[in-house]
Amino acid sequence: MITPFQVAYKNLLRKKVRSLLTLVGILLSTWVLVSLFGFNRGYEAALNRDIDNMGYQLMVMAKGCPYEAATLMLQGGKGLRYMDQSMVDEITRQPGVDRVTPILMQAFFDPNKGDSGGIAGFYGVDAGSYPAMKPFLRFRKGGWFHDNAANEVVMGYEAAELEQREVGDMTMVPEKNVPLKVVGILERTGSQDDGTIFVPLKTLQRISQTNQITTIGIKVKKDADMEKLENTLYQLKDVQVVSFSQVKQTVMKLIATARVMVLSIAIVAVLIAMVGVVNTVLMSVLERKQEIGILKTMGAMPGDIFRLVWTETLILCSLGGVAGIGFALVFARVTDLLARSVLPYAPSGGLVAIDLRLSLLTLAIIVSVGLLSGLYPAWKAGRIRPLESIRGE
Amino acid sequence: MAENGWSLQARQLTRVYHRGSEQIQALDGVSISIRRGEFVSFMGSSGSGKTTLINLLGCLDNPTSGELELAGKSIFGAGKPLGERELTRVRREVFGYIFQNFYLIPTLTVQENVALPLAFYRKPGVEGEVERLLKMLGMEHRMNHLPGQISGGEMQRVAIARALVNRPEILLADEPTGNLDTKRAGEIGEILQDLNRSAGLTIVMVTHNPGLARLGGRQIEMRDGRAFES
Amino acid sequence: MRNAFLQLVLLALLLFGLGAAPALAAVACDLNNPERDVPRLFPESTSYKTSYVSIPKLGGTPLLRRIESRLGVQYLPLYAPIDVPYTLYEVYRDKKKIGYIHGVNQKGQFGGIQVFMSQDLTGRVKTFYLQKITGSAASKFREAKFAKKFEGLTLRDFDSYDPVRGKGTGRVAEIANPSPELETDFYGILRGLKKNLILMDEFVFAPERGKP
Repeated sequence: MITPFQVAYKNLLRKKVRSLLTLVGILLSTWVLVSLFGFNRGYEAALNRDIDNMGYQLMVMAKGCPYEAATLMLQGGKGLRYMDQSMVDEITRQPGVDRVTPILMQAFFDPNKGDSGGIAGFYGVDAGSYPAMKPFLRFRKGGWFHDNAANEVVMGYEAAELEQREVGDMTMVPEKNVPLKVVGILERTGSQDDGTIFVPLKTLQRISQTNQITTIGIKVKKDADMEKLENTLYQLKDVQVVSFSQVKQTVMKLIATARVMVLSIAIVAVLIAMVGVVNTVLMSVLERKQEIGILKTMGAMPGDIFRLVWTETLILCSLGGVAGIGFALVFARVTDLLARSVLPYAPSGGLVAIDLRLSLLTLAIIVSVGLLSGLYPAWKAGRIRPLESIRGE
Repeated sequence: MAENGWSLQARQLTRVYHRGSEQIQALDGVSISIRRGEFVSFMGSSGSGKTTLINLLGCLDNPTSGELELAGKSIFGAGKPLGERELTRVRREVFGYIFQNFYLIPTLTVQENVALPLAFYRKPGVEGEVERLLKMLGMEHRMNHLPGQISGGEMQRVAIARALVNRPEILLADEPTGNLDTKRAGEIGEILQDLNRSAGLTIVMVTHNPGLARLGGRQIEMRDGRAFES
Repeated sequence: MRNAFLQLVLLALLLFGLGAAPALAAVACDLNNPERDVPRLFPESTSYKTSYVSIPKLGGTPLLRRIESRLGVQYLPLYAPIDVPYTLYEVYRDKKKIGYIHGVNQKGQFGGIQVFMSQDLTGRVKTFYLQKITGSAASKFREAKFAKKFEGLTLRDFDSYDPVRGKGTGRVAEIANPSPELETDFYGILRGLKKNLILMDEFVFAPERGKP
């Protein structure tokens, strides 16, 4: 027994090259579309992941000219601005604040790093409050410091790898030449923690000969009014507030233009592919006028013919769509690298997240648009009168 | 439909074509009656109207005026031309068609071509008809071949099988041997004759071939849109 | 807008951390600036080619075992899976290959030591270079006069000297430690050099000897 579906797909095999080219058009447009959707999802998820990894949602740091501080930090570690540690208490008192942790970032010059020396950065954290902010951090070996003034370090996975350190080894703070013992090495997190060397806060303060801090990490209560808290913090003297949600918004705005552009390209690609589909199916209908006429003599209703031709469109779009999604999955890594090279900021982890739901959604869009495009050729085929087509030799 | 002795009655069938401003009277008031089980051949030169007549009798076209009845039931004649859906319904109940150019689907096998009408419409009781017809017409050994791999005569056999798969009452044959050599034409003629005599199939045929025309019981000549029975 | 941008800059810096910028393949050694370093380590060179070799590609586990037995110790302690790629710089003068540059990461007292050497086509050490070492007195190891002591050294010189025990005779034994307070690093450098020579012998010179 033969089914109309079999008739439809066998007909597509009649002109293999033409069908293949049409398929490739749909494949490419699907690839772009699903990659874009995957990127939209993945980027925001990766960004959220990076922010979640911070452990806290707000940061308060000393006010200065941040730009200058940034360049100075890049050039030599000088020019950091400090805050008084009393700020910690002031912030803790604010409604909406769940937890705070004071942080001191310091950079020291190491003359033996590379040819002309380089800077080595250390992250002074409070032994009590910092680990509590990041309970998800796992240790490969060892654990956190024993107290806040111990001469110890905890190293991120890659920092330890670079320095070939194990738990029990010593490491040296350059410039000040203070030896510290490695008591813990973290598992790889895929975040900035991998390259960080953590030192107990008081220890780093002692080494740096300061009792100040550079940053306060703030964990906000679940039901807190973030905006109100931010505004309150803005009022504090000589500090500035960085809200990760704001940063996220800024970053998302930065890439929004890129996203719109790529979406436009994707839409145009889909439309062009569909024009290809209409052309292919319409040409095939015109070439088969007599055959369609004969089908009608056999008892095929106009609706049967319509469905037959529409099925051809469905097959082309489904196959092209599935293939496009397959390619997108296989080459997701490439798309990832491409995005990273183009974007101003890219969070760690995978940027392109294509899952089953997204794939099905894209397929549904492609097939729907395809079926819409296929209406005209199918309608035209349905209207063919047997006599005209048979006689029209 | 399967009552004994029904007839296909045509009364004053007229068909006028318009080509630009020109009017062509292809059929001029033809009345004819074809009884169940008859084998009728229409002969005539080009433009005589035989093809137009067979198209009307086979419900492939609407007449400009006139009536057509089958077993007392009116097909044309209510004054309103039938739409494509209604014509299709009548066609698939009553008629099977074969043409000069065979019109097999090149991407389907012989078996699939014969079974194709069943994909759209199936009369009750036609299970096994495909295999039976292929065997009867001597084509079962070519079941899995494509039309491009068989001869013209074989293609017409397949076309006949396809036309009969839904057990039509009437087989309409429009120049069935037009593209065949004498030998194959003769074979097809015999097949048609056999179908008419042993299976009682009603056949309405248009042909240029006098030898073929004589195989049937009745010959009607068409001239200038009119029918003349010999 | 400016404020938002600055927030972003700051955050990006904080997120990426200061200093400790981990290389992707932190275990193997790359020159920080090959364009600058290659001519310095090989003055007569005109160009170089960077290639990557790894133990699985060159011989797999049997090769690893051979290297370990030549070193005399368990060779790959931390952070060095078998398939880590080693960066090899092939140095050319016009179209002619004139030597190699290769670096290894060695564990030092306070941090990793990156031991680089350039070799001629016979495997003789031409120049010796410590790209990185940690420690206050470590700068003595980076002085030119210390590096000069290694010029002309070959793998054979380590036949009569064991850098693990620090005992033996010959050229290597004659090299004095310029920073006695950093004994671990001194012997670490020697071990790093021996490791470098053995790896180069296995990766490059032995296969070349084996060619007809």
